[in-house]
Amino acid sequence: MPSELAHRPAIVAPPLWYRDPISCLQSTFGTVLAQHGENPLFVLGAGWEFLYIPDDVRPEEFYYPCRYDGDLGRALAPHHALNSSWWRPADQRDPLRELRRALSEQRLVIAAVDNFHLPFRPAFGDVHAAHLLVVHGLDDELGLIHVTDAMPPAFQGPIPVEDFLRSWGSVNPQDEQDAFFSESRIQQRCLSVTVDAPYPDLTRERLAGWLRANLTGFEQPDTPVGWGGSAGLDRYTRDLVSRARAGETGALQSLYTFGWGMQAQAALHGELLRDRGAAWNCPGLAEAGRAVEGVAHAWTALRMTGAHGFGAPAEVADDLRWHAGVLRRRYAEALASVERAVGEL
Amino acid sequence: MTAIPGPPTEESPYDPVDLTPCFNNTGISPASDTGRGSFNVWGNSFPAESLPSGRAPVTVDGVPFRFPPVGRGNDNVRCAGQFVPVETGRFDWLHLLAAAERRTEDTMAMHFEDGTVDPEWIRVSDFWAAPARFGETKAFETPVMHYPHHVQQGVSALLWAQRVPVTRRADLKGFRLPRNVALHIFAATLQQTAVVASEHSHAQ
Repeated sequence: MPSELAHRPAIVAPPLWYRDPISCLQSTFGTVLAQHGENPLFVLGAGWEFLYIPDDVRPEEFYYPCRYDGDLGRALAPHHALNSSWWRPADQRDPLRELRRALSEQRLVIAAVDNFHLPFRPAFGDVHAAHLLVVHGLDDELGLIHVTDAMPPAFQGPIPVEDFLRSWGSVNPQDEQDAFFSESRIQQRCLSVTVDAPYPDLTRERLAGWLRANLTGFEQPDTPVGWGGSAGLDRYTRDLVSRARAGETGALQSLYTFGWGMQAQAALHGELLRDRGAAWNCPGLAEAGRAVEGVAHAWTALRMTGAHGFGAPAEVADDLRWHAGVLRRRYAEALASVERAVGEL
Repeated sequence: MTAIPGPPTEESPYDPVDLTPCFNNTGISPASDTGRGSFNVWGNSFPAESLPSGRAPVTVDGVPFRFPPVGRGNDNVRCAGQFVPVETGRFDWLHLLAAAERRTEDTMAMHFEDGTVDPEWIRVSDFWAAPARFGETKAFETPVMHYPHHVQQGVSALLWAQRVPVTRRADLKGFRLPRNVALHIFAATLQQTAVVASEHSHAQ
């Protein structure tokens, strides 16, 4: 349907926000933050941790380990008042009722979808995969819903409600073409996001506090929730190699999904530190940022080795061990670099 | 080794490196058969129609490369620790046409005639609609991306021109690529060390 025929969406189209290592999780939260006038990098790049929760990884692009009872906003931005909660329609006779109300109150909604049913996604009619997008308008009269999806190919505009409902309610069946993000029911899930903005200005002192808190987190042993900090990283990577050597495909399947969240977080945190290091003429901070970005880059080799070895885990166990060792060293170097940078702030 | 016959001329300071024996991946496909390519784990590939023809000489940032064969099987090296011997010589840079499945950085090893070995960083940005995170030159950007079953508009595939330094002043005899499946090399050219006219001197 031509967009010029559509009524104006309930909310002014929000900015698209994307970085090449992030997933739809960070891009949708980034879009919501930008709509509130906040710099998504300053918020989503503030925290940095390692957390792996055994048996928790789901085959969804937007999976992220969460220690806060489903509050992904808090997990993504532990130093800001950003919160979120999952919900589903209460009444199937009008599944869009809650969406309509949120939009009428000028609140963006993040919706889970199956790419298979979305005409603007490359996987349309081809591959089932769980994904997130932002809903910013609903036109009941014309039967259109306005969505924002910053992931390439970026799309912003109206789509038929029927397409959205199929995607939103998809069973997302197992798909051989996507072993990582299929076989996870979408179930009309949505995220309500609360942004208690404006946030305080980002200062050297404030950033130093965040960095100290992050460093403390890495030093803490495993948490009741999962395997956390540097000790958790050691435990996770050794367990990964062991399970791969034993031929467990599940270990590699979850590596690709779980690792994406850790990679995205490191990339954003590194970019924030490098960005502020340059802006504040603080070379040590910029170098720390680059070191943290090195963590993100090391995740690439580990994740891709697992993905390409998915059919034969034991055959890639030695390569996984190699790249896991590199990843641990990158974390150690980056943590030491951040610690030095804190002293310069 | 390894030097490809024909251009560049004898005066050229560039020596193309023949990677053909190491080719183990098909990253370029025609629109008529997109399923032939499988650059990444999702089966995406570069569109042949938007790239130079196979074996064509191409120049990026003044550096000549021999483009890989296109449509005749494998066309790039998916890095798996391959050792590439070269005709012994003094070089300053190893220039690459490369792409990566997500941005990645790793180390490769420069091997010298005198038995010394130096690790050097190799850094390549994502091939998927991404900026040059490591300051590479964008060698080729395609208007579409090939999927196993269709041609996708609006998603570009990027082939980067990157370089790796040869810092040791010694004769290079070969290099070993990293064991990193995310990293793909389509072409390589060595840049000879510039001849220095004057002897080393210092003020008295």
